[in-house]
Amino acid sequence: MAIGINTEIALTYMTSRRKQTIVSALGVTFGISMYIFMNSLIAGTNEWSEQVMLSSTPHIRLYNENKLCDTRMLDKYAGAGRINLISNPQLLSSGNSIANPDAIIKQLQQQPEIVAMSKQVSTSVIYANGNVQENGTVLGVNIDEQDKMFDIASTMVSGTIEELAANPNGVIIGSGLSEKLNLGKGDYMTLTTANGAQKRLEIAGVFRTTIKGVDNARSYVNIPVVQQLLHKDRSYITDIYINIKDHNKTADVSARINAHTGYTTETWQSSNEQSLAGKKIRDIIANAVVITILIVAGFGIYNILNMVIYEKIKEIAILKATGFQGKHVISIFIRQALYIGVLGALAGLLAGWAISYFVSSMYLGLGNVEYLPIAFHTRHYLQGAFFGVITAFFAGYIPAVRASKVDPVQIIRG
Amino acid sequence: MSIALKAEGVNKYFYTPDKFQALNNVSFEVKEGEFVSVIGKSGCGKSTMLYILSTMDTDYVGSLTLKGQHVTGCSQNELAAFRNRHLGFVFQFHYLLPDFSCLKNVMIPALRLGKLPRKEIEQNAYEKLQKLGVAEQALKPASRISGGQQQRVAIARALINEPSIIMGDEPTGNLDSRNTAVVFDIFRQLAEEYNKTIITVTHDIDFASKSDRIIEMMDGKILNQQ
Ligand SMILES: Nc1ncnc2c1ncn2[C@@H]1O[C@H](COP(=O)(O)OP(=O)(O)OP(=O)(O)O)[C@@H](O)[C@H]1O
Ligand SMILES: [Mg+2]
Repeated sequence: MAIGINTEIALTYMTSRRKQTIVSALGVTFGISMYIFMNSLIAGTNEWSEQVMLSSTPHIRLYNENKLCDTRMLDKYAGAGRINLISNPQLLSSGNSIANPDAIIKQLQQQPEIVAMSKQVSTSVIYANGNVQENGTVLGVNIDEQDKMFDIASTMVSGTIEELAANPNGVIIGSGLSEKLNLGKGDYMTLTTANGAQKRLEIAGVFRTTIKGVDNARSYVNIPVVQQLLHKDRSYITDIYINIKDHNKTADVSARINAHTGYTTETWQSSNEQSLAGKKIRDIIANAVVITILIVAGFGIYNILNMVIYEKIKEIAILKATGFQGKHVISIFIRQALYIGVLGALAGLLAGWAISYFVSSMYLGLGNVEYLPIAFHTRHYLQGAFFGVITAFFAGYIPAVRASKVDPVQIIRG
Repeated sequence: MSIALKAEGVNKYFYTPDKFQALNNVSFEVKEGEFVSVIGKSGCGKSTMLYILSTMDTDYVGSLTLKGQHVTGCSQNELAAFRNRHLGFVFQFHYLLPDFSCLKNVMIPALRLGKLPRKEIEQNAYEKLQKLGVAEQALKPASRISGGQQQRVAIARALINEPSIIMGDEPTGNLDSRNTAVVFDIFRQLAEEYNKTIITVTHDIDFASKSDRIIEMMDGKILNQQ
């Protein structure tokens, strides 16, 4: 038997009420397409903001934090057999530097999750061109290492990173800074630190990340330049930036690095907590909207099936009189609901993709957002179809059970 | 000959609008291969009795045995399966499924039974329609044929699973004398040649008098059985 009699009856009922079938399927279509669109937009936005965060924040930052003094040294000096307490302990200045950074990097390179590392020494400075001054931060880096992490080369609007590497007194500045100070490649500018140290550097290039806070304040120089500005020795390094394979799995890697090196680790998630809160709120809003739409679509199917059953109550009685059991009647109407669900879901997948596609080509042009960020993930489409069919199933189940309880005599007697 | 149907002390009450006894201690037997007519004035309880005999109505007092099986107290699902296999029923008002063709209407109980391949069921259904003179209507939707034709399609549907007991509630009520004669001949043939048991309610005294036996009812009681 190619198709069962229940299927055949369900299909006949669907096709003989074509308009109602289409309307209820459209409810599902609308729900699914919205589900897909909302999720694509939210995921796109999340991925975009993550990308923005990660374009200036490393996955893990390793640095030396000032620590409260403890009794370790005292215990060593006084020997065992005494319990030492420190009343009113003070913060110890650690010098904010990482001792022997190259050895630590060599150690960390053993860890397979780590894909890139970059030493940093940074300080806030005043940039000056003649009388015009701007505040900002200068990062002393190995520009090749830094480029591997943040892809600086692709953001260069003039000059190259190689020119910085070749010029010990070079500097790469943000595009905002370049405009405010009216400086271009080949010009000179002065950097002054809080302790009065000054340096005159040649501009080797200009970058634009499209993030205002970075473009207006940041500059990159070779590590010795900042060490000189801070009057520190050649091994003075304040941070090590670390990128790992999966940026969502920072928690255990950072804990491991912390245990391994003894220095403080900070993950990009904890330094961007407010943005991640935004992500959570977006997820909740999207889910609320989508669930509402699916429930409305479910009520649509429920309604239509109730109507069909009301109209067909005599026919259901006949079917039961000629030998259809309750489960057969349930099967007929659940099938009908499922077919409506599948039909609606298929159309919804297409519509969801189409809406997402069109919206993703809508020009926005705000700040560093050119087009609306939309993600295309198979997962959303599978979930959408699944939820659509499940909704249809439950919406059909209640009327189907009701239909199965029809008492044929009562109906046939009239 | 063995007993096809045995009713013992069947009582039926309706409670709405008032308590009303529709059947009063109905007892009788029908043998296999017998062609029985039930007559009586309108409202005397013929349809009510037939619904009970056909196992659709289970809300009664008394005992009912069909084909040697005691069906009183069986579950709804068991009864549905029993009807599907052993009973054919023609309703007082011909009830077809209007969204399906006449042929499909006839085929549906057989498809439900699922004993024969679809091709064979279709062939059988077509033969039944031919016997009842409505083969030309086979592919028309059931809602697009005359009342008399619908009734004959309904009879064809009652016969499709070759049931051993066929019940009809005024199966010829809508037919002209020629078609009434066709239906009578079919019933007669089923009873004589195929040993089927036929129980029909009718207002047609002529029809009744030609059957094997007449059961006359009045006010929910059986007056006399010849
Ligand atoms: N659902 C019901 N509720 C209450 N009383 C009913 C119900 N159905 C039938 N009756 C009553 O039961 C009695 C028998 O009805 P039934 O339908 O069996 O009559 P009938 O002999 O088939 O009549 P007809 O020849 O007109 O079809 C009638 O008096 C009727 O009023
Ligand atoms: Mg009647």
